[in-house]
Amino acid sequence: MHNKNKRFLPFLYLLPTAILLVVFLVIPILYTFYLSFFDWNLIAPTKEFVGLRNYLEVFTDPVNQKVILNTLIYIVFLVVLNFLVPYFISLVVKFFISKMQGVYKVLFFIPSLFSLVVGAMVFTWILNPVSGPIAYILKNFGIAMPNWSNSGILAITVICFITNWKVFGYNFILLLTGLGSIPKNIIDAAKVDGIPKWRLIWNVILPMNRGIGIYVLILTIVQGLQYVFTPINVITTGGPYYGSSNMIYQTYLNAFVLYKTGTSSALAIVTFVIFLILLFIEIRFVERKAKNYA
Amino acid sequence: MLKRKINLWHILLLLVILGAILPILFMISNSFKTLRDSYGTMLNLIPLHPTLENYQLLNQQVNLLGLTWNTFLMATMVTVGKLLTGLLTAYAFRSYQFKGKMLIYLIFVSTIFVPFTIVMIPNYLVIAKLNLLNNIIGVALPQLCDATGIMIFLKTMEKIPNSLIDAAKIDNIPNRRIFFNIVVPILKPSIVSVGAIFFINSWNEYVWPTLILKDKASFTLPLALQNYISSEGGTNFPLAMALSTIMVILPLIIYLIFQKYILNSISNSGLK
Repeated sequence: MHNKNKRFLPFLYLLPTAILLVVFLVIPILYTFYLSFFDWNLIAPTKEFVGLRNYLEVFTDPVNQKVILNTLIYIVFLVVLNFLVPYFISLVVKFFISKMQGVYKVLFFIPSLFSLVVGAMVFTWILNPVSGPIAYILKNFGIAMPNWSNSGILAITVICFITNWKVFGYNFILLLTGLGSIPKNIIDAAKVDGIPKWRLIWNVILPMNRGIGIYVLILTIVQGLQYVFTPINVITTGGPYYGSSNMIYQTYLNAFVLYKTGTSSALAIVTFVIFLILLFIEIRFVERKAKNYA
Repeated sequence: MLKRKINLWHILLLLVILGAILPILFMISNSFKTLRDSYGTMLNLIPLHPTLENYQLLNQQVNLLGLTWNTFLMATMVTVGKLLTGLLTAYAFRSYQFKGKMLIYLIFVSTIFVPFTIVMIPNYLVIAKLNLLNNIIGVALPQLCDATGIMIFLKTMEKIPNSLIDAAKIDNIPNRRIFFNIVVPILKPSIVSVGAIFFINSWNEYVWPTLILKDKASFTLPLALQNYISSEGGTNFPLAMALSTIMVILPLIIYLIFQKYILNSISNSGLK
């Protein structure tokens, strides 16, 4: 009896998490997959089976094609701003200065504490083309500030800068921690040999930090595409004419503004498949720990 | 020569700090300026004629206390729920061998790769079925489904020596007492920091409130702030900045108190 009890115990501890995961994650994913084969509007009592038409629409509808292209632009901007820039700064803090590392860490992280709605508000003020401080300064030099919310690509740029403001400190700390876990004797040996710093970083440090580097890179894409949802919804609602929308935002628009659950679900499934490919890369290169549980 | 080079790097890092902090300083400062002053003396960080006018006006337009309470309640529910389920799950992983462990672990890892858009419609329908639309519990529930806490707790629990737990087991101390009297006290620093991170994240949560809360009486602070921003440029910025200032106070205080723990936890979460 006692023994049997013990075998059940771990599952009892896992139960609350399991229920949450099944109810709010696993079943919803399956249901969205199911919905992606139907036409529905969230309210009607019946759903019409349409086969693969919703998926066809994801790839052939001009609006969706534009949104997919925007998603790629977002990925490029996010990777540069939220991954490469913090990586560069973390290398500077680790290898090119010797004091104040702690101060930089504490201060860089502060914006990560704040809502993206606050970020969106402050940056619409700073970048307001008529009355904002940047427009004010530019006017003194005789330059007119462009009305960025009328241009898809400029709106995307601003939205990415807003998420950069929030995510920068977080990614910086993750990357700096990775650099800190590289054995010191390797760095010292290179110093003794007189190898130039940038060559040391390129040939030794970056490859050794590959695990956490890939982890932050993937996180930047997966979370970044979802983070931009907030500034998009607050500032542009996807406009001008879907110019700043991405696949995540378009999924939301289709479901809760246009009431087309079929297209929305198909878009969600396609997004998920892309994320699963990234997950596969993550497990392959980063999750060495999973083997402990085999 | 070398010294001058080092100084140049510090200048770059100082610029990064300015980029991070200056927007917040401008926000706080403008929230204490009149609308006229905020246009006229835009770049003054210290208001010439400091005023509480915006805060008073804000208090007339929205129910500040109600908004703050809603947000606080939601964040507290999410934090407590995620801490409890996370600790229990991590403890099961730490203390028992069972079938399917690696598969379950990989499911936890993969949860951060699930875009919210794929669970959005079904979760909305479930919350509507449960009659929890416009209800704080309805916004809290879907947020509980998150494995990041489990991963951090797992890492700290692995540092607890096996001998300690084995000794307790030999003494026939019941599991629930091992958990509450041995494991939880050892994990206190990481419970505090993970709890602080959970609370701040949920305090700022935007997606689920947008989907679930339509009635203004049930709004949280981020939704109320959104109402003060419009893309047409007709925004009363000092008022929006006053509301933002109210929103950032609590996360800032939490960070001020637990800063070291929080940064440590985030560092650990990245180490694989």
